[in-house]
Amino acid sequence: MTMIISCILLFCGIWDITAVPSFSPSVENSANFKNSTYENLSEIGSAMEQQKHISGKVTDEKGNPLVGVTVLVKGTTLGVITDASGKYKISNVPQDASLIFSFIGMTTQEIPSGGREMIDIVLKEVAFSLDEVVVIGYGTQKKSVVTGSISSISSKELENLPITRIEQALQGRASGVTVTANSGEPGSASTVSIRGITSINNSDPLFIVDGIYIDNGDINFLNQSDIESIEVLKDASSAAIYGAKAASGVIIVTTKAGKKGDLQINYNFYYGTQAPAKKLHLLDATEYATLRNESSLAAGLELPFPNPSSYGKGTDWQSTIFNDDARLQNHEMSISGGNDKSVYYTSFGYLNQDGIVSTSISNYKRYNFRLNTTHQVKKWLNFGNTISYTHTKRAAGFDPNTEFGGPLSSAVNQDPITPVIVTDPNVLNSNPYNNHPGAIITDDNGNPYGISLIVGQDMTNPLAFAKTQLGNYFWGDNIVGNVFMEIEPLPNLKIKSSLGGIYTMSGNESFTPLYYLSTSQSNLENTQNSREFSKTLTWNWSNIITYSRKINQHNFSGLIGTEAFESSGSGIEGTYIGLPVFNYQYSSMNFSIPPTNRIALGQESQPYSRVSYFGRLTYDYGGKYMVTGIVRIDGSSHFGSNNRFGTFPSASFGWVPSREKFWPENNIVNLLKLRAAYGVNGNDNLPPFRYSSTLANNGNYPFNENNIVIGYSPGAPSNPDLKWEQTVETDFGLDMTLFKDFNLTVDLYNKKTTGMLLAINLPGYVGASDSPYGNIADMKNSGIDFDLGYNKSIGAVNLNLIAITSYNKNVVTGIGVNDYLWGGGFQASAYEIARSEVGQSINSFYGFKSTGIFQTQDEVNSYVNSSGELLLPNASPGDFRWVDLNKDGLIDEADRTFLGKPVPSWTFGFNGTMTWKNFDFSFFAQGVSGNKIFQGLRRLDIITANYQTNALTRWTEPGSSNSYPRIVDGDPNSNFSNPSSFYLEDGAYLRLKNLQLGYSLPDALIKKMRIQKLRFYLTSNNLVTFTKYTGYDPEIGGGSYSIDRGIYPQARSFIFGVNLAF
Amino acid sequence: MKKNKFITICTILVGLQIFSSCEKSFLEVEPKGIFIESNYYQTPEEAFSGLVSAYSQMVNEASGPKLGALNSAADECYTGGGGPTDFESWQVWNTYTLNPAVGPQAGFWNADYAGVYRANLILQKISGGIPGLSDELKIRYIAEAKFLRSYFYFELVRLFNNIPLITLPIETTEIYNITQANPAEVWSQIEKDLTEAIPDLPETVPAEENGRITKGAAIAQLGKVILFQNNENRMAEAAGYFEQVNNSPNYHLMGNYADIFSPDHKFNSEAVLELAHSAAFNADWSSFGLMAGNLLVQMCGPQSYTGPDYWSGGWAFNPIIPEFVASVRNDPRYKYIVANIDSIVNAEPGRSYLPGYMNTGYFMQKWLPLQKYVSQVGTVELNFPHDVIEIRLADTYLMEAEALVRSGTNINKAQSRLDAVRARVGLSSVPATLDNIYEERRLELATEGHRWFDLVRTGRAPLVLAFKGFVANKHEILPIPLNDTRNTKMVQNPGY
Repeated sequence: MTMIISCILLFCGIWDITAVPSFSPSVENSANFKNSTYENLSEIGSAMEQQKHISGKVTDEKGNPLVGVTVLVKGTTLGVITDASGKYKISNVPQDASLIFSFIGMTTQEIPSGGREMIDIVLKEVAFSLDEVVVIGYGTQKKSVVTGSISSISSKELENLPITRIEQALQGRASGVTVTANSGEPGSASTVSIRGITSINNSDPLFIVDGIYIDNGDINFLNQSDIESIEVLKDASSAAIYGAKAASGVIIVTTKAGKKGDLQINYNFYYGTQAPAKKLHLLDATEYATLRNESSLAAGLELPFPNPSSYGKGTDWQSTIFNDDARLQNHEMSISGGNDKSVYYTSFGYLNQDGIVSTSISNYKRYNFRLNTTHQVKKWLNFGNTISYTHTKRAAGFDPNTEFGGPLSSAVNQDPITPVIVTDPNVLNSNPYNNHPGAIITDDNGNPYGISLIVGQDMTNPLAFAKTQLGNYFWGDNIVGNVFMEIEPLPNLKIKSSLGGIYTMSGNESFTPLYYLSTSQSNLENTQNSREFSKTLTWNWSNIITYSRKINQHNFSGLIGTEAFESSGSGIEGTYIGLPVFNYQYSSMNFSIPPTNRIALGQESQPYSRVSYFGRLTYDYGGKYMVTGIVRIDGSSHFGSNNRFGTFPSASFGWVPSREKFWPENNIVNLLKLRAAYGVNGNDNLPPFRYSSTLANNGNYPFNENNIVIGYSPGAPSNPDLKWEQTVETDFGLDMTLFKDFNLTVDLYNKKTTGMLLAINLPGYVGASDSPYGNIADMKNSGIDFDLGYNKSIGAVNLNLIAITSYNKNVVTGIGVNDYLWGGGFQASAYEIARSEVGQSINSFYGFKSTGIFQTQDEVNSYVNSSGELLLPNASPGDFRWVDLNKDGLIDEADRTFLGKPVPSWTFGFNGTMTWKNFDFSFFAQGVSGNKIFQGLRRLDIITANYQTNALTRWTEPGSSNSYPRIVDGDPNSNFSNPSSFYLEDGAYLRLKNLQLGYSLPDALIKKMRIQKLRFYLTSNNLVTFTKYTGYDPEIGGGSYSIDRGIYPQARSFIFGVNLAF
Repeated sequence: MKKNKFITICTILVGLQIFSSCEKSFLEVEPKGIFIESNYYQTPEEAFSGLVSAYSQMVNEASGPKLGALNSAADECYTGGGGPTDFESWQVWNTYTLNPAVGPQAGFWNADYAGVYRANLILQKISGGIPGLSDELKIRYIAEAKFLRSYFYFELVRLFNNIPLITLPIETTEIYNITQANPAEVWSQIEKDLTEAIPDLPETVPAEENGRITKGAAIAQLGKVILFQNNENRMAEAAGYFEQVNNSPNYHLMGNYADIFSPDHKFNSEAVLELAHSAAFNADWSSFGLMAGNLLVQMCGPQSYTGPDYWSGGWAFNPIIPEFVASVRNDPRYKYIVANIDSIVNAEPGRSYLPGYMNTGYFMQKWLPLQKYVSQVGTVELNFPHDVIEIRLADTYLMEAEALVRSGTNINKAQSRLDAVRARVGLSSVPATLDNIYEERRLELATEGHRWFDLVRTGRAPLVLAFKGFVANKHEILPIPLNDTRNTKMVQNPGY
């Protein structure tokens, strides 16, 4: 457990070292360093009387000797440290003295000698010990001598969490790591960013699973129970070992290996129910008709609904899509064991999750299988492999965050007047119900679903919509694995070769029935069956040589390695048009279809390869002073020959003053470690062949109707000088143990990304059909990460609390010749709603400002420019008073300004575990603050779209409102169509992510049942969310930068689970 | 034993060494299914595909069919569609509330400049020498490219007036230094290109090349270019070009007015410059932008139509303005211009449609999606085969008549051209005055995309289009698209 895998690796060094007698720790050696380095600690109190010698051995709880433990005679400076076999001998000890044994990562003990001459002692580990081993990339290191900033999550912390994806395990548990669910749709991924948005074009961290690059970042193949540990390499100096891909940080996942000993079986199971935590308050039919009348009347049009109250409450569309009892179940079983020669770990998992929105088209299933083995073939030869197979199937019903139709967006925008189903014969005999035979979607009783003639466009009856999507799903088969061989030709010299890869087959099936959902959403001619199939293979082969050596207090380790990476892929899609069946259940590609109605498409991904050389040197002196240096050189096929290689160096230093002799023994700061680090990382994330100009098929012409000639012309101008984007980061950190029970880690960082690869927005007169890429933009992230842990046993209660919080400030510092970068459009609005500009946070919200609402015509008339012209000639009382920010006497697009930022300043997490006898209780809360959310749930371009009930507080007469403007068809003052702070809401939230109560059967009882552990628990996810946000869910990931277009909300769930081990 | 280990180490080190020596080729990957510009334009076929990419910009409908936008802006149609912001870029031209951010300008500008770039590039590549390209083809390709370049510049200059004049692919370093040219320079470049192209273009093309540019098309275009410059001193010159076309044995007025627009009579004897469309591409939504179909036909069909004759999935754009309908009602061409869907639906039970935004009940007969042209393969919406005849003989007849009258030279000739157009639909002669010629253009060329330009170039737009919000000295041209005024030296057009 305390071993370090590391070493020096200089080719010439190999020969030198062989000339030295084989190194073996001995008492002689330890005596040497005692004399040379610790003599100043001893002999000072020699004048005392009644002196004697005390000797003994210090071991850890497993009986391993502890080397370097300080043994001090209390009240003196007399002391020694233990030798390589954990033994010590201390002379001239006063008769009744007490000895203090202290060692980093261990609980300090004070033992009265009581006249004894032989004192053997076992030191216990401090919980959250700095002596843990952490994975640092191509090796491991004792946490106590780590000089970078690394957060670590162990299998223990994951064990009881009912999460469905591994990213969720990081949320609120690792400081500096922001995890935001892309949506609450089952199977949906999360967006992970480490220490802010590192790069404009891609800020996803690099995932490495068992040494395998997960280049597309999708780690849904992982089964939670299979994880041994997750390490987050946060700063550039830690991540530098992955150089070119590491600018946004690295997340290393290690899966479990078998353990020697008896066969062990673990079974984890949970089953639960999920429900939406929140419904929006929308207008009912009467309120809707009233407001629509008001809106039309204000525009001088006829009343569309002369008798609003005749519509009653109308349809609650939300209730048609939400499921208050969506089920969730998960089974995970593993078997592990082995002997001295071979160990194995094998597991199987099954997850089946129904979605809370339109359940029939939002289900996710996953099956996992894994086998990890390691074999000690010879004393000097290890061989092993990890392999996993995962099958996923996800309903392909709808986009989880879109304003353009789909169940959620439709439920919000659809008018409450249209009924869910139509039974009125008069209506049934009218357009569109009596037309489009075979295309009107009906419920199971044959009643047509209501079709809105009021709202239309892409909004549809969500129940009818769901029925058209039933035959659509995505599937994926992932095989992820590696084989490795490690030889140890000389003591401490290890040579390891590892070949790993991912083979993914994925695709989708879809059936398009005949349907008529609205005037613009219909398929009236032919049914259609499409099948898409694609495969990708990525592999990486690494060869590393590590050497470690300890000479007295000097610990060296070094590593050099090479690595190659390649990815390739291809796919094909076929469509049959006009099947002789009308229901997905009978759809098949076995039907005979005329060749002209069988359409195939195919594609190959562009080849991508990388070659890397790297080296790492670590040194520490007695666990007191430490230094690490890394250099990595990467070459990528994404760049032209002039800039193909990039060099990424780093250096980091650590010092543990609390181990210095001048450090006073105290009960406040038990341990203090200071760290400083500097490193450079890269990013080659850009489409292939951008360094040259490629031809694109960007226009065809049909000569004489049937002679269609394919036209080619260059898509974008070339940029042969493209190079890596570079991130330089400095990190200052400290690790402390305070009052024995508190662990505090604080890191301060400053990260500069330069030359970000970005598509250049060219003026149209260039005539390019595609945008070239350039090393354009620069950005800075700075911040501070805190981790505070508390661990205490009070009687029978064990208490463990962790609080993390991070502050991040993102500033765009350069965007080349651009004034700004487009940060996202919204609906049909001509204006962007966010932009990135120098001095601002990335993708900050941008729009018009108003100083309230005109209450009277006089106010409108007196709102004039210096020449007395009306500033807002189209305005009426009840409209926003837009501000002429640039004071040019005109209100136009130049009067927009920054309105807030989408990225949180603060992220925090609180995690507590309490055990008492056989009960355990835990809670986990997580949140963010300092960001805004654009609440874009209502479609502005559909004037007839329904409103949320806050529209009832709209301006109607002088004094009625100063925040919600009047509603009027055509919106002449652009109250709603101008992006403005009207749509921005505080995005802060605190969410009780998980609450859990468990009970483990008493040992005595389960021993009889011949099982090791049987625990039952009840848990709830997302029980409470504190937020001011008025949309469904303030957690909006998926790269949308806090723009809520109708996000699929996170479910609130209640789950029962069992952990069984035997 | 020790020795063996060293051998192992050496083997691995040698292995690493070999690996690193492979690295160069390992990183030099070949693109799949993509041509690199430096390797392209090496065969006559590749040169032709480059030329075709320029041709395609004449019918690029990725931002909507140009014709529909022009109809929306003129006094012929409203924008219509599904709602007041459906195709907002057209809606704001209909209401003359367009601004640099919102309007049809970016679509026009980008498509036309892409055409300019592709024409410039192929001219550059051909002059640089293309292996295997015969002199005959080389001359023809150059002439076609010059025609295309002039075509795009004509569109640009008459829509925007103040535009950059670019006649070579722009160097990357120069992108942001480009300035707008004096419009006179643009006009003269257009005339130069056309004049140079005319002698090298074929009189006629074989059927399989239908749609390729002919001499007649270029001559007619040159006459039109001169006419649009409104220089009374050059009207005789313009008339001369139109006369060449109108007297050519290659063109005749079609006997039946309705046949001109039918996909069954593509490349008919009246077509001088025809923009080709096709259903044969079988486009689906994934190939939107590359489609060969005529999107206007889809857009202008009635919504949710039930009954025979028409496609049921139209989008209700370009309803004809009732005043316009009234003004053509007594013309013999009325039923070929206006489809009174309301009366059709009301005539028989079981027929219906859903009115769109600003529905008038009147649809454009020339572009109606007839059931018989509904594509059986591919996405119906994207595969209507209707061509657009940009210049047809009746148009050049009327333009010749106009130029003659304006030059005051040969009024009799003008009269005979006007009479010929009227006689075809059974109308008697009216005097060849400018007013009568313009009125004839309004009727003969209704909903074919000429009306707005005619109103603007003759100075009648502020009056005729006042009811839509047209402001004189502003709305004659479009604003420079917002995107092109960012970081560039472009100066916005007056009033925007």
